Amino acid sequence: MKKVGLVLVLVLVSCTMLFANAEAETQTQELEKVDFLLNWKITGDHAPYYVALEKGWFKDAGLDVNIIVGQGSGYSVQAIDSAKADIAISDAPVPITNRQKGADVKIIGIIFDKHPNCCWFWKDSGIKTPQDLAGKTIAVPATDGHKIMWPAFAKQIGVDPDSVTFVNIDPAAKVSALASKRADVVFELYSGKPFFEKAIPADELGNFIWSDYGFNAYAHSYITSDKTIEERPEMLKKFLDVVYRAWQYTLENPVEAIDILAEYHPINKDDYVANLETVMAFFQTDRYKNIGIGYIDPQRIQDTYDLVDQYQNELSFPVEDCYDNSFLPDPMYKYNF
Amino acid sequence: MTKKTTFNRIEIVWNYILKIVKKNYRPVLVILGFFLIWELIVRIFNISELVLPSPSCALDHLFNAQPDANYNWGVHIGVTIKEFVLGFLFTAVFGIFIAIIVVWSKTMEHVLMPAFVFINSLPIIALAPIILLWLGYGLKTNILIAFLCGFFPVVINTIAGLESVEDDLLDLVNYLGASKFQLFTKIRIPNALPYIFSGLKICTTMSVVGAIVGEFIASDKGLGYIIINSQYTMDTPPIFSALMVISVAGGGMYMIVSFIEHLIMPWMPLSEKK
Repeated sequence: MKKVGLVLVLVLVSCTMLFANAEAETQTQELEKVDFLLNWKITGDHAPYYVALEKGWFKDAGLDVNIIVGQGSGYSVQAIDSAKADIAISDAPVPITNRQKGADVKIIGIIFDKHPNCCWFWKDSGIKTPQDLAGKTIAVPATDGHKIMWPAFAKQIGVDPDSVTFVNIDPAAKVSALASKRADVVFELYSGKPFFEKAIPADELGNFIWSDYGFNAYAHSYITSDKTIEERPEMLKKFLDVVYRAWQYTLENPVEAIDILAEYHPINKDDYVANLETVMAFFQTDRYKNIGIGYIDPQRIQDTYDLVDQYQNELSFPVEDCYDNSFLPDPMYKYNF
Repeated sequence: MTKKTTFNRIEIVWNYILKIVKKNYRPVLVILGFFLIWELIVRIFNISELVLPSPSCALDHLFNAQPDANYNWGVHIGVTIKEFVLGFLFTAVFGIFIAIIVVWSKTMEHVLMPAFVFINSLPIIALAPIILLWLGYGLKTNILIAFLCGFFPVVINTIAGLESVEDDLLDLVNYLGASKFQLFTKIRIPNALPYIFSGLKICTTMSVVGAIVGEFIASDKGLGYIIINSQYTMDTPPIFSALMVISVAGGGMYMIVSFIEHLIMPWMPLSEKK
C-alpha cells in the first residue's frame, strides 16, 4: 500500500507540473485577444495571417490573435453565432442563409473577388457538361460551403439538386476520395488543383469552375457577429487593416509567405506555393487593382443575396443587413498584378 | 536505505530488464522482419511513395530535414505525448476513484453505471465535433476525448477487482471488527491491483487513440494533425512517419505501466511460455 501511495503522489505531482506548463499565458495585458477561425484545414490562402503574425503586425495593432484551424463554412457560422470565435472565414452565401435561420452574423470583408468553387472528376467518367452531374455521386464534407450552396448552383445550371447522391467525407479525404473513385465527383476549390494533380494525371482530371457557369456570388469572406460589431468596432477595423495589408504582401511575395506558413504548420512548401499561385488568380480583377483588396461591391453582394433568396431560402431581411463595409481599411490596399 | 537494499533494488530492476529482453526478442525479430519485407516489396515493385512509402522513406522524413517541408516533429510529438499522457493519468485517477465510489455505495452504483454504459456506447468520432463546439480547440478538448476513450475499461476492471474478494476473507475481517474503510484499504484495493493494471494497460492504447482522434478534429498541432494535413495534400510519407511514432509511444506507455505493475506487485510472475 505504501508503494501504491508513493506512485499516486508521484502521479499527482506530475499531473500538476504538466498542467501548469500546459496552457502558458504569454501575452501582455495591453493586447486585445481575438479568436480568428479559418474556414478549413491549412491551405496556401491562409498564409497572410501567419505573415501578419510573424512580422508582428497584429501585435503592432494591439491585437493578440489566436488563429484556429477551421471545419468548413457551416462551422464558421456556428462558431461566430455561439461566440466560440470573434472573426471567421466563410463562403458568403452561408452566413446569409444562416441569418435567415436566426444566426446574427454579418460579412465585413471579402477575400476572393472571383468565385473559386469547383467540381472535380475523372475525364473518363463521362461527365462533359455541368448538366451531366445529375445522378452522380458527389463526395463532400457535411459543413462544406460547396454543399450548402449546391442547391443554388444546381438550379442555376438546370439540374435538380436532389438528383445527386452526397457521400460524406472528411475534409482531408477529398483528393483520395476522387483518386480512389469512391465518388464520381468531388467538390473542392479550384486552388486544390496542385493536390489533385499529385494523385490524378492532369490530362485525366476534369473540372468545372462554378463562376464560368454564371455563379456570381461572393466566395470566402470575413464574418463576425452583430454583437462584436456593436461592442468591438475598433478591433474589427484594426484586424481588417492588418489582414488586407498581409494579403497585399502575400500576393507580392508568395514564396516568402509559404516559407513563413511552413514555420507554423507541417506543409510541403512546393505544393503550397503552387496552391497559393492558383489562388492569386482569384484576386486579379480590376476591382482589386483599382479600388482595393476586400472591397464589397454593392452589385456583387446583391447578386449573392439574390442567389440565396431565389435558390435557397426566401430571405425576410434586406441585403443591407447581411454585410457591413465600414470596417474596411481606408485607404484600401491594392493589388498591382 | 542501506547499500544492501539499494543493490537489491538495482538487481530487481536489472533482472526485470533481462526478463523483458528474453521474453520479447522474438517479437522484435518478427517486427524487424515485417519492416524488411515491406521495404523489399516497395523497392522490387517500384511502388510510388504516394501510395505506400517504404519504411526507410518514412524514417527519412522523420529524422532528416526535408528540402521542401518542415514538419517540426519535436513540437507535434511533444503535443501528442502531452495529450495522451495527461489523458491517461486523468483517466487512471478518475476511473479508479469512480470504481471505488461504485463499489462503496450501492446507490451510486445504480446511479452511475447506467450513465457510464450509455456514454461508452456513443461513438467518439460523433461526439468529438460536439465537444469541439462546446470547448473549442486545445489541450482540454483532446484530453477529454482521450478520457472518454479509455475510462470504461479502467472502471470496469477496477470494479471487478474490488468485488472479487473471497467471501470467507470478508467474513473473517468483518468478524475481526474491521471498518469499511479498513476493508477497502487493507483488503479490496490490494486484491484489485492486478485487475486495475489490466484496465490501465488497455487504457494506454485507448488514450493514444483518443488523443489522435481529438487531433484529427480539434487541433492544429500533434501527430494526428500531421496525418490529416498530409492526407489532404497527398504527402504520404509523413503519415507513415507519424504512425510509427504513435506505435512506439503507445508501446512505450504500455511498458511503463507494466514496469510500475512489476514494482508494486513484484510477487506477480511475468507470464512465461513453456
